[in-house]
Amino acid sequence: MFRYIAKRILQMIPTVFGVILITFVLFNIVGGSPAMHVLGRHVSPQALEEFDEQRGFNKPLFIGLRTTTRAYADSDFERTAGDWQKIAGIIWTNGTVILAAGGEYALPVKFPLRTDCEYELEIEGRSAGFPMFGENQLKLSRDWKKISLRFQSLAEIVPGDAPVEIRSIKLRRVMSHPFDSQFIFYLTRLAHLDFGVSSSTNQRVSKLMLDGIGPSLMLAVPVFFIGLITAVMLSLFCAFWRDTWIDRFFVVLSVALMSVNYLVWIVAGQYLLAFKLGWFPVWGFEAVRYIALPALIGVFSGLGAELRFYRTVMLDEMHRDYVRTAQAKGVSRGGVLFKHVLKNAMIPIITNTVIAIPFLYTGSLLLESFFGIPGLGYLGINAINSSDVDVVRAIVLVGSILFVIANLLTDICYAAVDPRVKLK
Amino acid sequence: MSEKGNSLWSDAWRRLKKNRLAMVCLGIVAFYTLAALYGEAVYQYYHAKDQTAFYQKTDLGLAYQPPSSKHLMGTDALGRDVMQRLIQGTRIAYKVGIITALIAIPIGVFFGCLAGYFGGRVDDFVVWLYSTVASIPGLLFILAIAMVVGKGLLGIYLGIGLTTWVGLCRLIRGEVMKHKEQAYVQAARALGLSWPRILFRHILPNVFHVIIVTFTLRFPAAVSTEVIMSFLGIGVATEPSWGLMINSARMRLWQGVWWEMTFVTLAIFGLVLAFNLLGDALRDALDPRLRTEGS
Repeated sequence: MFRYIAKRILQMIPTVFGVILITFVLFNIVGGSPAMHVLGRHVSPQALEEFDEQRGFNKPLFIGLRTTTRAYADSDFERTAGDWQKIAGIIWTNGTVILAAGGEYALPVKFPLRTDCEYELEIEGRSAGFPMFGENQLKLSRDWKKISLRFQSLAEIVPGDAPVEIRSIKLRRVMSHPFDSQFIFYLTRLAHLDFGVSSSTNQRVSKLMLDGIGPSLMLAVPVFFIGLITAVMLSLFCAFWRDTWIDRFFVVLSVALMSVNYLVWIVAGQYLLAFKLGWFPVWGFEAVRYIALPALIGVFSGLGAELRFYRTVMLDEMHRDYVRTAQAKGVSRGGVLFKHVLKNAMIPIITNTVIAIPFLYTGSLLLESFFGIPGLGYLGINAINSSDVDVVRAIVLVGSILFVIANLLTDICYAAVDPRVKLK
Repeated sequence: MSEKGNSLWSDAWRRLKKNRLAMVCLGIVAFYTLAALYGEAVYQYYHAKDQTAFYQKTDLGLAYQPPSSKHLMGTDALGRDVMQRLIQGTRIAYKVGIITALIAIPIGVFFGCLAGYFGGRVDDFVVWLYSTVASIPGLLFILAIAMVVGKGLLGIYLGIGLTTWVGLCRLIRGEVMKHKEQAYVQAARALGLSWPRILFRHILPNVFHVIIVTFTLRFPAAVSTEVIMSFLGIGVATEPSWGLMINSARMRLWQGVWWEMTFVTLAIFGLVLAFNLLGDALRDALDPRLRTEGS
């Protein structure tokens, strides 16, 4: 048994790693830094850089020694001279910038460079003379050539007695070691259970999530258990009356219930039951009765699919040999159903239950935001609307990991109940 | 139809024809499809002429007209004809249903085929990939992808398309595993055919019904998700999607403007119901063994 559990836990690791990798790819690589989105377009590059520094977005992605900086955007002078046009004494023709001889030209950075790390300058250019960059010589020749040069503090380009022609120029920050990357930063923070800071409220994400989980569970747990019991009861009822019009009615009803859009349940329920009839409060989270209507809607919206599922489960069991034996022994129809079928159907029911548990924690995204229940769903929808990456990522990640754990628990329960599982 | 009518498809069609409910659903689906095509034609016409389409033209004098002979389903807050906007909503729904399927089905089929055929390391990788994707909470994952990609139709396509291939992948993997051991595949292998040819020319046609059924059942789910996303303001913003219509009708409902809400609801309900029932019937007709596997 212990070997089986250990094996399953080992199998869990790649999945957890996969989830971490997917969230990283999604938010860091595809999404990139949300700085512009969060701070707005009219913020100085320095503020953006500070935002990135705080959240680790200004590091290489997986592994690497160089990273871009917002101080100087890569320029290849194809169409414009870019930031260089502000500098007196330069000429821009045919996609090259020419620094005239005898002058001193500072790199047009948007904000002062950091003093605690090295930078690297990559220039593609040519020159007949011996241009200098501070103390260092720029080793350019008469032919086009790419050179790179490390420096600690920013200096001016001094062409000397011949002009320097530049085709492209890049500025990179040099990292102290190659593992100082976004991915490692992300992993370290996760190891410390640090999910970052919400960019819209400036609160710690872990605190927001702890605050939200209570209300979420208050709504999700009753919905789940009432829904489960109703669906199992109705499915037994269908199995009892199978192949009669009652059964067929419930089959059609469950497909119809499934086809009603979730939004319609919410809008119609809120309008008819809360607004028109006044049976429930419309919005808010102050007392237990505020949970009643969203819970009711939650149960109804999920009932169709669950009823269908459990009906299939029950009917599958009905065709087993033990049912025929019980009937042959003269056990009553109801007795077969409740004593024999229900007991054996518990395995799929339990699987379905355990697997659904992690989804309880996100609650229902929509129900919560419609009824103003300050749970994780509400938090999640708000975070998505305001592009609050850290919050969305944390909710996605924790939800997935809970799912993986629930899967593990199901398998262990299975193995405990049915020794054959271990042999597979 | 082949002359004796015992190929897989003609057989399935005969079984489907006997199912009266399925035929009604097929009719409804055809009706929606025509509406979507008409909507697309109207859209393209105005798009080509670079004019504001009539379903987008606002006329505040006509706002909130109840259904009449002129506006069969009434008008909305800006005096636009609800029926015309519903038809445009059908167009969007079809676009979402089809394009997300075009993203999800190739991914699912490709990985499922490879995993089922090769087994071993390839299978391990594919199982790892889909169990990872499957463990991320569905709607939240879709919304997160849409958030990262940017609001609009592209976000919807990618969000739904990249997350819903898992079920199909699983089914195809299982089917291919079964077919791999059968005599016709062994024969093909003995003839020295290359694996892509065996996999995609010989095995794939035999598991094609799985794809058809999955598509029919995924379509309404994708449409429902699109409605929710557009409603939340993450999806379509400038065109009349059903989600946007529900959103605008919701507030007016409280003031007694019932028609917009009612007709949108009915339109979604009809489409989803017809596709769901048709999908079930197709599953029964094409492969009775699958009956217990799906949701």
